Amino acid sequence: MNITELLSVNLIKLELNSKTKEDVVKEMAKMLDEDGKLLDSDKYIQAVMDREKEFSTGIGMGIAIPHGKSSGVKEASLVFGRSVEGIDYQSMDDELAHIFFLIAVPEKSSDEHLKILSQISRKLMHKELRDSLMSAKSAEEIITLLEQ
Amino acid sequence: MKFVAITSCPTGIAHTYMAAEALEMAAKEMGVEIKVETQGSVGAENQLTQSDISEARVVIIAADTNVSKERFTGKTVIEVGVKDAIKDAKGLIQKAIDIKVEDKKVLSETTEIKEEKKVERKGVYKHLMTGVSYMIPFVAAGGILIALSFAFGIHAFEQEGSIAAALKNIGGVAMGLMYPILAGFIAFSIADRPGLIPGMIGGMLAATVGAGFLGGMAAGFIAGYTVLFLKKTIKLPKSLQGLMPVIILPVLSTLVVGLVMVFIIGKPVSAINVAMSAWLTNLSGTNAGLLGIIIGLMIASDMGGPFNKAAYTFGVSTLVVGHTSMIMAAVMAAGMTPPLGIALATIIAKKKFTPEEREAGKSAWALGAAFITEGAIPFAAADPLKVIPSTMVGAAVTGALSMIFKSAIVAPHGGIFILLIPNAVTNLGGYVVAIVAGTIVTGLMILLLKKDIIVEK
Repeated sequence: MNITELLSVNLIKLELNSKTKEDVVKEMAKMLDEDGKLLDSDKYIQAVMDREKEFSTGIGMGIAIPHGKSSGVKEASLVFGRSVEGIDYQSMDDELAHIFFLIAVPEKSSDEHLKILSQISRKLMHKELRDSLMSAKSAEEIITLLEQ
Repeated sequence: MKFVAITSCPTGIAHTYMAAEALEMAAKEMGVEIKVETQGSVGAENQLTQSDISEARVVIIAADTNVSKERFTGKTVIEVGVKDAIKDAKGLIQKAIDIKVEDKKVLSETTEIKEEKKVERKGVYKHLMTGVSYMIPFVAAGGILIALSFAFGIHAFEQEGSIAAALKNIGGVAMGLMYPILAGFIAFSIADRPGLIPGMIGGMLAATVGAGFLGGMAAGFIAGYTVLFLKKTIKLPKSLQGLMPVIILPVLSTLVVGLVMVFIIGKPVSAINVAMSAWLTNLSGTNAGLLGIIIGLMIASDMGGPFNKAAYTFGVSTLVVGHTSMIMAAVMAAGMTPPLGIALATIIAKKKFTPEEREAGKSAWALGAAFITEGAIPFAAADPLKVIPSTMVGAAVTGALSMIFKSAIVAPHGGIFILLIPNAVTNLGGYVVAIVAGTIVTGLMILLLKKDIIVEK
């Protein structure tokens, strides 16, 4: 499994500009769109926001993993975004979210990609990784951390 | 200590796996063993084997999707949302450690053939419970509205155009839907949508032929299995298959179920009713206590069926305008105890009822107090072999005491509201004692007979 199939330097932003939940999703979705990963940006954002309505993907511990499965997605991909200041993502623990993984999955995705995403989700539960992601200095460093 | 868990979320991309990881981390930290099956978008991974499940102390399901629990028959299951596992995995595991587990050793030693039978029984029980849970709110809505009409005075509903008359009418309609809903959803559970049609019609017929809730239950099962049978046997060319669900299945299944209800169930039911009525009339002169016992047993046996109706009609026939009747008093008291006794049981024996049933227990107080014996039906239908004997014995005690105390009343309905009217009841004190005694007997018998249900959140 190779995370670079899903995540590239183009899809990493160490300092997000947005201050609100909706803007974060839009800002990160725009990065996907510019990288040619989306077919229909609005449709994809809608899928992500619908998912958020079920319950917030701000899972606490400073992490949010907005995700959407939609026909508006061309290929499975991942955006990493970070906000040192923190964003109110209506997280389960009512704390601000700092690390964002926006996940895009097409209606029909290879199991290989889904497995990579499930691996990342699992890794995020570990505090050491979260701390390293917070202190990483470059996009390359983020990729290396997630590849381990 | 070993546990198994299943995690699952609607999109199956992230939360499923986070919850799994959180549980595994927490278990490691707490020094217990856990195996977590993830049901995500790639399907089930790290699947639990039969031996995993049998070794596990408790099954944890952290899911926001419908996880099939068939594999966990007989196991103690804790069910929570997927986010609860992410948020507080340790707390969840602690709960799994602390929870009381019933001894299921005997179960695992049974042979394969017996296991098959168990699955079959579980199916029938599931269908029954589906019907019962749809029926409960109808009984509550109808019963409480009828009780409310009595609050205006026990004869208030006789005044046409009054609020009381309207309430009694509305309540009566709701109660009338009880059997169609019970039978319809039993059949629905067995055969899906096509089952609903013959089920509801069969249930309605059970009411009109006077077969009571047992007749309604029978109608539901007959309807469900008839539809399954018809689906299997009727083979149509592709061009005609569209006719199956809209014409062929509804017409044929309703025809079969309807004829069965009218001739095979309806005839003997009315014969029993006639015979019982005649028998009771002949008993008029016998020992008062014995007659009270017989009345109690009949009233609380089939609640709305031929025995109950015969006893009630007999009671009404002994009423003469302006005079009190001891037999009517015994009938009413005996008819009040089944819901009252069950309501008591839902308090003193909480573990033996589902949360839904415990809630329904609250309305059973009101229904029993208003002499709406039907309040007991959802409970009796859910577990007839344990509940019906309990209500019968309780009602027999009440019937006998009411007769021995020579209590008598002036009207064939009203329940507790009649007790509030001056001079409407002869020997009021004795009458109350009789009702309370039967209520306690029924409550205690249910406590003794009924089994604990599996602990589920």
